[in-house]
Amino acid sequence: MSKPEFVYVTYIKTTPDKLWHALTDRDSNVLYWFGAYQDCDWKVGSPWKITYPDGRVMDSGEILELVPQQRIVIKWRNEWNEELKAEGFSRCTIEIEQADGAIKLTVIHAIERETSKFIGAVSGGWPKILSNLKSLLETGTVALPSK
Amino acid sequence: MSKPEFVYITYIKTTPEKLWHALTDKAFTEKYWFCCSLTSDWKVGSRMHMDRDGKVMNECVILESNPPRRMSYSWHTVFDEEMKKEKPSRVTYEIEPAYDGVKLTVIHEGFADGSTTLPSISTGWPLVLSSLKSILETGQPLAFTVDH
Repeated sequence: MSKPEFVYVTYIKTTPDKLWHALTDRDSNVLYWFGAYQDCDWKVGSPWKITYPDGRVMDSGEILELVPQQRIVIKWRNEWNEELKAEGFSRCTIEIEQADGAIKLTVIHAIERETSKFIGAVSGGWPKILSNLKSLLETGTVALPSK
Repeated sequence: MSKPEFVYITYIKTTPEKLWHALTDKAFTEKYWFCCSLTSDWKVGSRMHMDRDGKVMNECVILESNPPRRMSYSWHTVFDEEMKKEKPSRVTYEIEPAYDGVKLTVIHEGFADGSTTLPSISTGWPLVLSSLKSILETGQPLAFTVDH
């Protein structure tokens, strides 16, 4: 049996600079992450969390690896749902590569368990967030506007 | 019950009708599918073929066709000798309204153990579907050069 893992690849017409900014800038996050943003100073070992504007913390963890414009690895645990939180920490790897004519963005979100509702939950969330991100960078507006 | 081997979801600022057209119109497919064109009358039981430079890459048969919501076809890769020996797999598109746009789910399943087609399509779909989203939202596909 393979471990629970979510893998998503998308190609975006942008630059590594602009994609990095969109991934790490709070004001940019809010636009495509349904109002939420990552709260972090983007250094290895720094605390990391996803927060809603009303202050609720959705997820928290720590930056494990960071290479600007190339790679971020986050130790990531859910904070709002007891059952998901009880699954413990997952590992999210975000990779940016220059492809021919576009930027390749890969998100791999995995957890060291036999089964995982948390990975099931993020498997629904990531396609929305990453579709929004691609739309925002290519057209200036998101695909799924916040209600 | 085994899970489908490949599932990809993308949200696109478009309508189900425009997305259906983009998936089934030969001239339109050629613009974003990296010079591959899809030809069929899209009726259940009909043949569909995916050609590049006049060469058939994939041989397909329409299994379900419910415009503009759902389509399914068999998929037999014939440009590569190893892949050609494999049994056909199955592709299903599900198109649902979502927010002000469309949710597209692509499911590709039914591969033989040790399939070499599976890693090939797993690399290919994100490229094709990223290009599809770009052309529907911006009018321009992704400009990759394809390794023939």
